[in-house]
Amino acid sequence: MGHAEKIWLLLIGLTAAGAWLAESGQSSWGLSLVVAGLIGTKGHLVIDHYMEMRTANQRFRRLLHVFVVLVPVLVLLSHGFSDVLKRLTTIA
Amino acid sequence: MGVRDCSAYTAAMNDTVASASDLPPPVAVTGRVPGNAGTWVGIFCVLVEFLLLFGVYFVAKAHHQEAFLAGPDKLATVAGVTITFLLLTSGYCMVKAVEMIRADRRRATLGWVLGAFVLGLGYPLVKFFEIRWNVAHGIDGEAGIFYTTYYYLTLNHLVHVSWGLLGLIWVAVRTALGMYSPRDYSGLEAAAVYWHTTDVIWLVIFPFFYVLR
Repeated sequence: MGHAEKIWLLLIGLTAAGAWLAESGQSSWGLSLVVAGLIGTKGHLVIDHYMEMRTANQRFRRLLHVFVVLVPVLVLLSHGFSDVLKRLTTIA
Repeated sequence: MGVRDCSAYTAAMNDTVASASDLPPPVAVTGRVPGNAGTWVGIFCVLVEFLLLFGVYFVAKAHHQEAFLAGPDKLATVAGVTITFLLLTSGYCMVKAVEMIRADRRRATLGWVLGAFVLGLGYPLVKFFEIRWNVAHGIDGEAGIFYTTYYYLTLNHLVHVSWGLLGLIWVAVRTALGMYSPRDYSGLEAAAVYWHTTDVIWLVIFPFFYVLR
């Protein structure tokens, strides 16, 4: 099995894990942590292996990785600090 | 260091060298930009656009926690999972297409590009049936803030996937005409990296609406 096939299988497996969570998940820190981990891991796999950014221009690579790191961090912040976000975005 | 210590050190070093030589060679960073500069301007614009849209999602969720808690239960998870499988597999086909053109296997390149296109075409098809199912179950744009946000983000993503599909048609035609070679395939690679970017964005959208509560 080639490298691309292994990455594809891994991505499909992680998606299946996400689907299982969708059927059984309830709102919790655990679910948010797992979802944040899945977004980060799958994004990293696509960027470094599908897009071949591991060996490409490292500035572009870092910018792409900011996206798949920032979004999981926002997922966790929105779970833990939704009241703060609500207060900050309420027009009085 | 005595003679005995020195030979032990040498033996340890030999072990280290032997195990280091067993490791795969480090990946060389070439610093090249896959595709072309114009595509990357588009890619970073799309990523910034979706970051802003995700901001809308988080704000809406903070203000309507109950709606976002119950919302995913009414959506057809199978549609979201199928779209994810289609996009990831279509992306894999584009990885193979780039591999094939580097090996100067042009017919195989065309086959993989067409495979990527056909699988990618499954996305709007699944979306059509998903929306039909939604509407039949009372989930339209006015069904509540969760579903409004869901339509807003997923249809926006579908628009970007449509550009990608048009790009794949263009690349398929150029491949069929023999316009790519192992020395010049930047157009093919540009389509591939844009296509993978739509994957990265969908990998965020999928858990937002089908998994997270």
